[in-house]
Amino acid sequence: MTPVIEVRDLRFRYEDGTQALDGVNFSLHAGETVAVLGANGSGKTTFVLQLNGILQGEGQVIVCGLPVNKENAATVRSKIGMVFQDSDEQLFMPTVLEDVAFGPLNQGCQPAEAIEKAKRALQQVGMEHSLNKAPYHLSAGEKRKAALAGVLTMQPEILVLDEPTTFLDPPAQLSLVHLLHELPQAKLIVTHDTRFACALASRAVFFEKGKLVTDGPIEEVIQRYDWHYSLLAADLRYSAQRRF
Amino acid sequence: MHHVIVDQWSQGKSPLHARDPRAKIFVLLVFLVVLATTTPDAGVTLIIDAAVLVSGILLAGLPLMGLLLRAATILPFSLTFGLITWLAGDLWRAIALVEKSYLSTVAVLLLVGTTPLPRLLRGLEALGTPRVLVLLAQFLYRYLFVISEQAQHVRVAAVCRAGGSSEHRRGRFRAAGGALAVLFARSYYRAEGIYRSMLARGFGGHFVLLNPLRFGALDGGFAAALVALLVMARIT
Repeated sequence: MTPVIEVRDLRFRYEDGTQALDGVNFSLHAGETVAVLGANGSGKTTFVLQLNGILQGEGQVIVCGLPVNKENAATVRSKIGMVFQDSDEQLFMPTVLEDVAFGPLNQGCQPAEAIEKAKRALQQVGMEHSLNKAPYHLSAGEKRKAALAGVLTMQPEILVLDEPTTFLDPPAQLSLVHLLHELPQAKLIVTHDTRFACALASRAVFFEKGKLVTDGPIEEVIQRYDWHYSLLAADLRYSAQRRF
Repeated sequence: MHHVIVDQWSQGKSPLHARDPRAKIFVLLVFLVVLATTTPDAGVTLIIDAAVLVSGILLAGLPLMGLLLRAATILPFSLTFGLITWLAGDLWRAIALVEKSYLSTVAVLLLVGTTPLPRLLRGLEALGTPRVLVLLAQFLYRYLFVISEQAQHVRVAAVCRAGGSSEHRRGRFRAAGGALAVLFARSYYRAEGIYRSMLARGFGGHFVLLNPLRFGALDGGFAAALVALLVMARIT
């Protein structure tokens, strides 16, 4: 089966010289859910930003059979729905409805069709009551759902969620797990929350210093890196490295 | 976007809100030209112009005092120039300068307070404003909210760490320079995040409106009636 995402020998260096990705190889198949684990600064977010061409490094990134480049950017971005860590960055229109309809309008839908799609997506995430609310009036959990609706309304084949549990209380996290579980798209979940990852993903990849060092069943990856307990140590290591 | 009250005003549902932005922009331009060419001693024309604005504010359901007070932010500038003109010996011109600048500000606020910015900018674009300027205005507007929000966060953090004594207040003033630098950096990263999320949802440099502009007979009638009134007031 052809993967929906295929990454070969991906390298990326920021302008300040930081080697953020170093020879990453990865593939994701239709319907699969993969957790992306790793310490802060290990390259997880940089990696997912390569998938829809927002950042572009050396190597090859193929999404749904299309190489990610400037020419294909619009098509690739309609195939990959990206939910960012901070929902406030994703909700920038005056009302929830307008925000959710932003994607379909950019895809060339007529306003009536965009509204219809937006309403459907909001219903899908259980936010149909908030159509005319201003995004800043929503709770953190509602913002996350509205941001997800804004992505679902573009009917992507792949969902990328960057730290989706940030700012969410446990009930909101549970609600998000149920919601994501029902979505048929292939999913890539960048997270530090191993319980959340285990609830959704069967496979995990582990990033360390820009390299994808492990790819396998999620329980094995978590166990191998003792990720439950080493998280704090990894963060401290990272902070220390930055300081000196 | 709760930081700017004018943005909330623009979401209203009055007949003035419902008019096509092109009609409102055209009327505003005529109003400004009429006002600029009104002689300093034409008190009746200025009163009619002011009455048109007050009627507009009431029709739009905007808070009269709130809008007039916001328009007063222009006064320190216009009063300075008015004072210079007065000292140069032209009292009537000085008064007219202050009156005209204030009425112009009220008129602009009335337009902005009755037209959501995306529609206003689309109206400007439709009337021939270069797209690059419209795009710049759109981003400036969005990022103003970003900066405003970040400023509030920085302020809250500063207040939490400062006491109420005068010494602390002096310290806070000294820290303002550093806070500004932090504010700029944080706003920059937040703005970058917003732009990335826009790109991820297919933004191609052009904001598509959910409710496209429609210039109907009511809009034409509204513009024609107001232009006729303003021009009549000016020439008679």
